[in-house]
Amino acid sequence: MTKQHPAWSPYDNNGGTCVAIAGADYCVTAADTRMSTGYSILSRDYSKIIKLADKCVMASSGFQADVKALQKLLAARHLIYQHQHNKQMSCPAMGQLLSNTLYYKRFFPYYSFNVLGGLDNEGKGCVYTYDAVGSYERVGYSSQGSGSTLIMPFLDNQLKSPSPLLLPAQDAVTPLSEAEAVDLVKTCFASATERDIYTGDKLEIVVLNKDGIHREYMELRKD
Amino acid sequence: MGDSQYSFSLTTFSPSGKLVQIEHALTAVGSGQTSLGIKASNGVVIATEKKLPSILVDESSVHKIQSLTPNIGVVYSGMGPDFRVLVRKSRKQAEQYHRLYKEPIPVTQLVRETAAVMQEFTQSGGVRPFGVSLLVAGYDDKGPQLYQVDPSGSYFSWKASAMGKNVSNAKTFLEKRYVEEMELDDAVHTAILTLKEGVLTPNEIRDYLAEVE
Amino acid sequence: MVGKNCFAIASDRRLGVQLQTIATDFQRISKIHDRLFIGLSGLATDSQTLYQRLVFRHKLYQLREERDMKPETFASLVSALLYEKRFGPYFCQPVIAGLSDEDKPFICTMDSIGAKELAKDFVVAGTAGESLYGACEAMFKPDMEPDELFETVSQALLSSVDRDCLSGWGGHVYIV
Repeated sequence: MTKQHPAWSPYDNNGGTCVAIAGADYCVTAADTRMSTGYSILSRDYSKIIKLADKCVMASSGFQADVKALQKLLAARHLIYQHQHNKQMSCPAMGQLLSNTLYYKRFFPYYSFNVLGGLDNEGKGCVYTYDAVGSYERVGYSSQGSGSTLIMPFLDNQLKSPSPLLLPAQDAVTPLSEAEAVDLVKTCFASATERDIYTGDKLEIVVLNKDGIHREYMELRKD
Repeated sequence: MGDSQYSFSLTTFSPSGKLVQIEHALTAVGSGQTSLGIKASNGVVIATEKKLPSILVDESSVHKIQSLTPNIGVVYSGMGPDFRVLVRKSRKQAEQYHRLYKEPIPVTQLVRETAAVMQEFTQSGGVRPFGVSLLVAGYDDKGPQLYQVDPSGSYFSWKASAMGKNVSNAKTFLEKRYVEEMELDDAVHTAILTLKEGVLTPNEIRDYLAEVE
Repeated sequence: MVGKNCFAIASDRRLGVQLQTIATDFQRISKIHDRLFIGLSGLATDSQTLYQRLVFRHKLYQLREERDMKPETFASLVSALLYEKRFGPYFCQPVIAGLSDEDKPFICTMDSIGAKELAKDFVVAGTAGESLYGACEAMFKPDMEPDELFETVSQALLSSVDRDCLSGWGGHVYIV
């Protein structure tokens, strides 16, 4: 008879929800600040959004240990990039780098679900959304993480992005103003917090526009 | 026994088309203690004489009026033990209804179920009809209601009714005293008077009335 | 979803076996009487059997009691029928919506073994449940008039169903 070992997993799921919305000259990236494991809350004030470059931020849910490792790696890669090119990485470039980085660990993936928000070289808002192994797409808005199933249909309804199959290709950015986009993000997090136990405590919103980067917070339910 | 004309069932038609067992059951009811019921505009009263066979009986142990649900009560004339069986069956029926629909059983429903049981006992093998008539009083969505159920399983809705000893007297008395828009207080009063009428002389009743008024 | 003296009940029209779509005009919502509807998501054969049993029981009730069932009463009946099969359940999740005699809306959903969940605002069931929760939570307003309620429910259904691979092909919406 073989001895039964308790199954050990190298992964955990710390929950959390991320949203990013691209506009004509801005990008709103948001995530809640709750970190959980199972039914326990580990932290009510844990930032899931990191600034990767001057015009690029990343919001990540999933397994925060993997996220941390991923952030460190991207920061290192960005530092090398700056030394070699003497400039900040653009958001589309960072988007490609993130995809490659995730796919590099195709058979032992980073358990992280990311959205990348930023401004492209023309100053237009851009959002990239990923799965855990690097498949990615540039979109007008996206949501990832535990509350994504609740938020995504609502964003679809409010923002109705044109199908990527349409010809000629249409701009994916949303028609909303920056203030409207921030309000929309607040609304959908307030709703998601009602029904998702892994989302809550506080909402961190990062707005990127031509004036630079700006952060704001909103309180969410704590139960 | 096998050759007996009753071997099929106790309740069999007589050549004249009557069910003698039911007639006997009604006789048992007719010789039972008097009970009555009155429907008022805002409720129903049921009452019965609680005459004990001996002063040695602990009167607190005798319950002739029983509740089936919080809003339905029942009284009987006839055989006490038979009544208990019916009460148990009716309560079970009411509880089953409540369990299924999460709402109290309407009076009509409970009366019909009870009547169905009583009917079954006039047609089944190895049993006899119940030796009781019931007065079922209840209050539900349709307001106050009063039903009488007989051993045959037939049931009627009444404004006021009586059964047991002195039925005819009691009914005549009720017919005289009953008024359509009577309230509960008056109905209780009338009920007591009707019961007393069987025991007291007209003079004694006049005295009693003078006493309470 | 509940409105002011009204309610809406809606579903998609797809019938599929896993990924294969069988029919695109499936009726998931059925009428019990003029003011009472039930939607049954899940295994179609179980839904239909359960529905037939419910209609049967309701007809018996109508004949016996000479009245229609109250929504609350009907919900208890559904719950009781489902729990009868506690250890071999009907694979379906019902949504019940009705108007009381006083035009008060009643909505409720259950799991496959009859545990009722009564809500004041909206209930959801089925494969797109989570998406629906998200959409309804964001769009619901108390005391909507029928027209607005129809618009809200339709929008919520449409956008949720588009995010669920197992639902789609248009929808049915009933406003009562």
